[in-house]
Amino acid sequence: MRRRLPTACAVIAFLVLLGQPLGQAQGFLGNGLKPAVPVPADNPQTDAKIRLGAQLYFDTRLSADNTISCATCHDPRTGWANPHPTDTGIRGQVGGRNSGSIIDAAYMRFQFWDGREPSLEGQALGPIHNPIEMGETLENVVAKLNAIPGYREQFQDVFGTEANTGGIARAIAAFERTVVSGPSPYDAYLLGDLSAMTPEALRGMRLFNGKGHCTPCHSGPLFSDQGFHNLGVGMDKPKPDLGRYDHTKNPADKGKFKVPTLRNVAETPPYLHDGSAKTLLEVIEVYNRGGVANPWLDPMVLPLDLTAREMGDLVAFLEALTGPVPKVDVPKFAEGPGAPADPKGGLR
Amino acid sequence: MKPRHAAWLGLAAIALLACVPQESQSVPVFARKYGFNCTMCHSDFPRLNDFGQRYRMNGYALPGRENEEKSVLETSAPVALRTSAGYNDERLDTPGGCDNAYAFEINGLDLLSGGLLGRTVGYFMIYVPQIAAARGVAEQEGGLEMASVVFQRLGSSWVNLRVGRFETACVPFSVKRSLSVSPYEIYEAAFPGGVPFSETQSGIEVSGWGKLPLRYAVGLVSGGETNLADDPPADVYARAAYVIGAGEGQTMGQRIGVIGYLGKAPSEADSAGARQTFSRFGAEASLNAFHCNLALQYLFGQDDAELWPGAEENDEVSWSGGFAELSWRPQVGRVVFARYDWVDAPSDFNADVGRATVGARHYFGDNVALHLEYSHRTEKSWWGSALAGGDDTTLSFFTARVDFAL
Repeated sequence: MRRRLPTACAVIAFLVLLGQPLGQAQGFLGNGLKPAVPVPADNPQTDAKIRLGAQLYFDTRLSADNTISCATCHDPRTGWANPHPTDTGIRGQVGGRNSGSIIDAAYMRFQFWDGREPSLEGQALGPIHNPIEMGETLENVVAKLNAIPGYREQFQDVFGTEANTGGIARAIAAFERTVVSGPSPYDAYLLGDLSAMTPEALRGMRLFNGKGHCTPCHSGPLFSDQGFHNLGVGMDKPKPDLGRYDHTKNPADKGKFKVPTLRNVAETPPYLHDGSAKTLLEVIEVYNRGGVANPWLDPMVLPLDLTAREMGDLVAFLEALTGPVPKVDVPKFAEGPGAPADPKGGLR
Repeated sequence: MKPRHAAWLGLAAIALLACVPQESQSVPVFARKYGFNCTMCHSDFPRLNDFGQRYRMNGYALPGRENEEKSVLETSAPVALRTSAGYNDERLDTPGGCDNAYAFEINGLDLLSGGLLGRTVGYFMIYVPQIAAARGVAEQEGGLEMASVVFQRLGSSWVNLRVGRFETACVPFSVKRSLSVSPYEIYEAAFPGGVPFSETQSGIEVSGWGKLPLRYAVGLVSGGETNLADDPPADVYARAAYVIGAGEGQTMGQRIGVIGYLGKAPSEADSAGARQTFSRFGAEASLNAFHCNLALQYLFGQDDAELWPGAEENDEVSWSGGFAELSWRPQVGRVVFARYDWVDAPSDFNADVGRATVGARHYFGDNVALHLEYSHRTEKSWWGSALAGGDDTTLSFFTARVDFAL
């Protein structure tokens, strides 16, 4: 009996600990259904504001030469992203980074690859006065919009003022908050539809949270820890893009880029901050090699030793994260004395 | 079952496992703290992959995420259990006769716990309950096999302090996380009455890792249990390794290293007498390519002659040994392995050991594996006996078991 007592105690203690709810886990699990879209208190959603934001989103007159709209690089026909590796702005100028999708951007704590803007409102204005992208001054944009009676009336209705930069930002942000993904096969699976995902996707799901080492960064309902990590992509170039470091100037941030959401990721090639991966498989191959060696490589990025089948399974799982996105047509634009709006909304 | 039949049965089963396609599943187990699947750290449970190795080196915290980690006070304690059950067939042929044992058995039980006690303090424990032998139950000596605390990153990842009882860093290939049931012979070998090299030790260890490809560890430990209570800790060891390519040499990248151990222990014949010195020096390599791993270990021992009864006095006794193990993952959820162990005993002691082991593991899930293994061991005489010549002692061992953890 004396010998058995420690064993019995240990087994009982084990069973008690095992019985504790898994909800207390670190939090890397639970890539489940998304919560409601967060809306800032100073910019509540209204139908009129969303309609105004949609017009601004597609209006090429926000750019210096009236050729580029937000939709030019965040194209609703291609997953609200740019199908090209990097942006092409006014006068054919080429940027250095891939235009990420705006799908579910409303949930992100940081905007842009380097996270330099904390809000959608801040992000909305950035490309307008970026000399490579839309190349217009905010003053000119405000003046152009106030010269168009239809816009002036809408701004009065929505904000009670003439068009101004704050209103432009809030309206575009309000529209972008409607561009969210709906339930995916993965969500349906979580809700109990065991046939919602293919066997390949199910194997990929297990890999995602295991040997694929994806979950430490791609966690939570959005599959993003909303943090910044260095995979080394592009760090082997003579003048690498240092990402987050350019904003924080913290040496530890060199080569770090925002972890994007993986919701609807299958619709938004190419991938990575420089658009260097044409397919999801190419992205996984980067990870399988352990990223690209550089002094700031994230210590969790290690070679994975995945087989071809395992990589295919991971792709299948990522494809199962695709949910419906609201269909948005190019709106009718208010016209004024200046140049007319592009009826295609800047779509190429 | 005759050993030859068992060998053929085992080999046939291993070959079958390597050929039949099978899907793998996974269930979060020991990683329930994080909600990860176990393959995050164990591509082939129980062996650590590079991620798991780095997690362990970092003191049971995810590298780069230290400030976001929760302690065991904030989460359910990550407690795990590991055991195996199956069929064992063992035949021992000695000059005195033959002894057969075959039975369905439960093969021991480990209770494990690990995690963070604070933001930068990790811990790891293995408790092994005492289990009395019975028909169908393998005997197990009880005890607290490991219980250590790791003070992480004392300034940087290059200084981590481990205190308590632990598997020392000078054993590069963990016996607790070995793919095989058959032990690494060179880690088991010792002078008569001495404790195995792989025995967990109590003491302190400082280790470090970082962006440079170097890894190191130095330790001061109490030594084996043959030391007396009034013997101060006097065993020291060091290990240095160089990692080539990305990874830690576990499943990816390459690793080469050297180890050294200098210890003191009383001789078996005079356990209360003065302690004698013994030393171990060795080299290790873990090479990876094409889903294969080649693990190499060489160890050279040089002991005071008094530790070897019967050896010529005023002489140091030298011996050596090692192993070469090749493991291959032909398919997802399956690993096959083959190893040869050898020990060249001191020339005065005709006790050379050779052991060939082959096996395979098929994973029904991350944490459930069907384990097949056949091992054949030959020894020229018993360790510690001064008998020279005579017939060899051979051991044939076959096991088919289910190894699982939860």
